[in-house]
Amino acid sequence: MSEIVTTIRKFIFDNFLFDAAEDELGNDDSFLEQGIIDSTGVLELVEWLEETFNISVDDEELIPENLDSVNRLAAYVAGKTS
Amino acid sequence: MWPGKRPDPMMVQDFLQTAADRTPDKDVLIYGRNRVSYSRLLEAALSVAAWIDDLGLEPGFRGALLTDEPFEYLAAYFGVLIAGGTVVGLNTQTSDKSLLHTLQDSGAALLLANRKFSRHLHRVLPFAESVTAVAITGSREPIPGATSLCREDLAALLATTSGPGRILPYRSPCDLAQLIYTSGTTGQPKGVMLRHVNLVANTRSIIKYLHLTGQDRVMAVLPFFYSYGNSVMLTHIAAGGSLVVNQSFMYPNVILQQMVDHQVTGFSGVPSSYAILLNRSAIDSFSFPNLRYITQAGAAMSPALVHRLKKVFPGVDIYIMYGQTEASARLSFLDPSEAGKRPGSIGKAIPGVELRLLDRDGRPVASGETGEIVARGPNVMAGYWQRPEETRAVLTREGLWTGDLARRDEEGFLYIVSRKSDIIKSGSHRIGPREIEDTLTEHPAVHEVAVVGIPDDILDERIRACVVLKPGAQCTEKELLKHCRLELPAYKVPQEIVFLPQLPKTATGKVKKSELKTLEGIP
Repeated sequence: MSEIVTTIRKFIFDNFLFDAAEDELGNDDSFLEQGIIDSTGVLELVEWLEETFNISVDDEELIPENLDSVNRLAAYVAGKTS
Repeated sequence: MWPGKRPDPMMVQDFLQTAADRTPDKDVLIYGRNRVSYSRLLEAALSVAAWIDDLGLEPGFRGALLTDEPFEYLAAYFGVLIAGGTVVGLNTQTSDKSLLHTLQDSGAALLLANRKFSRHLHRVLPFAESVTAVAITGSREPIPGATSLCREDLAALLATTSGPGRILPYRSPCDLAQLIYTSGTTGQPKGVMLRHVNLVANTRSIIKYLHLTGQDRVMAVLPFFYSYGNSVMLTHIAAGGSLVVNQSFMYPNVILQQMVDHQVTGFSGVPSSYAILLNRSAIDSFSFPNLRYITQAGAAMSPALVHRLKKVFPGVDIYIMYGQTEASARLSFLDPSEAGKRPGSIGKAIPGVELRLLDRDGRPVASGETGEIVARGPNVMAGYWQRPEETRAVLTREGLWTGDLARRDEEGFLYIVSRKSDIIKSGSHRIGPREIEDTLTEHPAVHEVAVVGIPDDILDERIRACVVLKPGAQCTEKELLKHCRLELPAYKVPQEIVFLPQLPKTATGKVKKSELKTLEGIP
């Protein structure tokens, strides 16, 4: 799980936060509320999830409960790959 | 609250006053777990207006808004208008540079903001010399470097009532109500000056052709600072309806569920909203028995997408619309009864507006031939804020030259052929390539650059930057993107960077952007 979290954090920092300090994103911070990812960003995120973790994200699964923080994403990915 | 009640709304704020008089307890805003009634919104707006009035600003002052919290935005919007000011709705996807430019260019005296933008504000406000007063939610703390600013807590303002009887300044319907900043091809965004009369006329016309009533509840997904979102907001308040607001569009399934839960009757989106709904949501598992109409504007929508929408929303009126910020929002619409029959058409002029197709010399073109759309009507802007030359280029005795080339069929239906300008339409945004080009050129490794929009299934257009590096210089795509991220709002950062040995140019040295769109024949 911690490996998944690290991988997800790296993707978020590389693509959405760039120069931000590590402590600017908590693992439970909402991407939506913090304005980190927008509607097109979430599509990039889903594409990356599918490629990186070799999973298929169903349209029904595009909900904040699965995607809206590092920890939620990690739990979602862990559930899909277990 | 303002002198002399008028039989018909003539000022934008009259829409709110009228609806609050008629249906004070009705919800004007529904978002998250919040519901705001018309009377509460009016009270909050009057409280904001009273605070502004005490500041003693000159009538016509510019009041800038930087918040994506719907109640804050609307209370501040109407508060500024009631206090006799001009609203400048700031794009919440911003950078320090963009924010400072808009504050300085508009000469904003006042800023009302949500605290989530505090980091930007702390960096920018010390340099925004025109700003004399700031209301931020949850804070009255002085801002380092800008300690002379008059401070107020926006949340406290919205929670209080101003008390009856305050006489606020009288303003005329010909006074400016809003500056809406829009991208131009020439560089920095410019402020479109809209008078009360422009917005009131356009609002009434839209209500008429959409047949809006107080029973309508629209799913408002477009930001209010954006011309189309502003128009959705005004029309539904003027009709006495309700706005169900969710402007993130990050999780489309959440929006679909809200549409069902709140029994919305209308939905307004840009083509990318519909592309996302159709391609990346579980829309087929929802049904919308209350939905009466959907509207689309902001860019051309492919007939294939319209066809799919008709299948997904059977029996729902689909309005294809066309407009410009310079026309308060709306210029034409295609009647839903024609939607399937005239693929690609933007319909005919809205009530009260005349649209002509003219050649370069101002002469009407023959039916079937291509000409520039030139608009006349009470909705046409007063001009660009403090830019007389750019105003003269588009506002002439013929009317507003839209920069959009179109043809008209024998029955009078209009079809956009192409745009004269290089403006990139990406999602709900209008993006001038020059600002991105200027930003990339500032990078030490870059020799020259040209930015174009290329077709995209979801966004309508995506941003491609074609870059020529200085001799011997080395630089990666990632480095350039990082540079853009630091200088530009996220939506202006190119999705694609192409390195070229040189840019294709005409004999006179003008970059051939059409070739950069296809990259055909380019080594």
